[in-house]
Amino acid sequence: MKQSVVVIALFAAVMAALPGFLGDNPYIADILITILMMASLASAWNIVGGYAGQFSFGHAAYFGAGAYTTSILLTTLNPGIPVSIAAGVLVSCVIALLTGTIVFRLRGHYFALASIAVAEIVRLTVLNLDITGGAQGILVTKVSFGSLDLNSKVPFYYAMLFLLLVTLGISALIYRSRTGYYLLAIREDQDAAASLGINLYLFKNIALVISAAIASVAGSIYAVYISFIDTSTVLPLRLSIEIILTTIIGGIGTLWGPVLGAVLLVSLAEALRSNMIGEYLVNTGMVSEGSATGAFLKSNLAHAHVLVYGIITVLCILGLPKGILGFFRRKGEA
Amino acid sequence: MLFFQSLISGILIGGVYALAAMGMSLVFGVMNISNFAHGELMMLGMYMAYYLFTLLNIDPFLSLLIIMPLTFVFGYVIEKTMIDRVMDHPSENQILLTVGFGLIMSNSALLAFTSDPKILTTSYSSSSIALPGGISVSIPMLLSFLVTCILTAALYLFLAKSRTGMALRATSQNREAAQLMGINVSRMSAIAFGTGTLLAASAGAMIAQTYYIDPFAGHIFLLKSFTICVLGGLGSVIGAGIGGIIIGLAEAMSSAYLSSDWKDVLVFILFLAILLLRPQGLFGKKGEQ
Repeated sequence: MKQSVVVIALFAAVMAALPGFLGDNPYIADILITILMMASLASAWNIVGGYAGQFSFGHAAYFGAGAYTTSILLTTLNPGIPVSIAAGVLVSCVIALLTGTIVFRLRGHYFALASIAVAEIVRLTVLNLDITGGAQGILVTKVSFGSLDLNSKVPFYYAMLFLLLVTLGISALIYRSRTGYYLLAIREDQDAAASLGINLYLFKNIALVISAAIASVAGSIYAVYISFIDTSTVLPLRLSIEIILTTIIGGIGTLWGPVLGAVLLVSLAEALRSNMIGEYLVNTGMVSEGSATGAFLKSNLAHAHVLVYGIITVLCILGLPKGILGFFRRKGEA
Repeated sequence: MLFFQSLISGILIGGVYALAAMGMSLVFGVMNISNFAHGELMMLGMYMAYYLFTLLNIDPFLSLLIIMPLTFVFGYVIEKTMIDRVMDHPSENQILLTVGFGLIMSNSALLAFTSDPKILTTSYSSSSIALPGGISVSIPMLLSFLVTCILTAALYLFLAKSRTGMALRATSQNREAAQLMGINVSRMSAIAFGTGTLLAASAGAMIAQTYYIDPFAGHIFLLKSFTICVLGGLGSVIGAGIGGIIIGLAEAMSSAYLSSDWKDVLVFILFLAILLLRPQGLFGKKGEQ
């Protein structure tokens, strides 16, 4: 525990000082905010997926519920940002509890399947309702918070950083608490856990609700940051899968795995999207520009980041099923 | 009249859903794996039918004779090279492997065929038979329903009568006992996955005339197949067949009497309701969950 606190504090200090060193570069700031957001989401997912071993394939629902609730409130009643975020958390927790109540009585694949179904119900409902703007989405403008300049990226950087630190703190706390031991016991052997008197149903729900609440706050901050949301940006199945992949690739069930995964995957996606990798391959002469391969890579690699995710996932499961961090740790150390 | 029209179109589309879901159920029964790449395998069938028709002018239903053996081999090889390695891993890793495989397939399709939806139009694509009372039956849907019936009967005979089919059922009932009886369970897994791929791709090829063909066209069918499998009892092939018809009917009725915007929502709510009320499915045995 002491060690985790020290590392988290060190991480906080470095990350808090980072914008000072990087200067005012909106492009870098945007990538950093995305990394912090994915790290928060993956860490949140890790509580229910990594610790309790319950794989949610629908975390986009909680992210999206937070984003939508906050946006709707801010553009209608406008009770201020903190209340709007809290309302999002409330909605997400209700969705999580409903899902958990229905599905956690069952074992095996059912939770994975039902979590997708719930996420799809949320997505299609948002798409069909009027209050959510349907397919057009919601424009979140004219939002203010004290004297902060919300056109700058800096407040959002610190907001996401704060969320990540809180998430890491909660994760470390849960991991070393009685609840954490219960969750690990459930992950390792449900029957054994139940026979020791652990209420499986209750503790799985606790893990899911905590995880959903964090994902919801990430969604709320994101909505205010990006100023425009629709179902394809905050509620797609793709986002749910990216959250899982981030955790798996970094190291599932570890404190820092999700953060490592977010750094690697977001940077990789950005490098592919900006065509940095395609140009590098051509410029270094590894692939000649005139050749068919060169032309193909240059024009297509920018769209290939999900394909690369897929390849990494398959290789990871076949080669490093415990993720990068898990690979470097001895078995049993977690 | 609306009722009978919906009844007929519901049964026809339900047949195709059933075919796709039977493939998923077979894989689940024999291998105990939820195949999240099932929708992509349908998408593969759609594109194969499209290109066989546009390039070689082979009718989509005739092209099944080419698509079926090819996709069986494809599934068999995928099982042997990838999925077989994670058979004794936790089920989450198996799910993720199929998720990753699905991402590779859909995004490779995106690179190869772009995201522009393709439309397969044959001479009879939009023709229909008029029945008394103003009911019309779409010819491609009727043909796909008939072919589905033939394939279902063939699958049933294969599972019920052939030695391989019996071995598949034995593996599905109890993997260890089957192995002790001298059944090569690893080979059975590969055959089940190959057959599942074949069924998914056939379903895809048959609806290629009715739906837009794009790299992510399979997504919605993945979720529907899951719903159908759970409705029929995970692992029950017959249950998946009947479940497919029920879901087809539920969809057709809800778009006729409610609104077509909400029909997919209704399917997923039905899915949660089954999990809540009868998690073993309509035809599953109690305690199997």
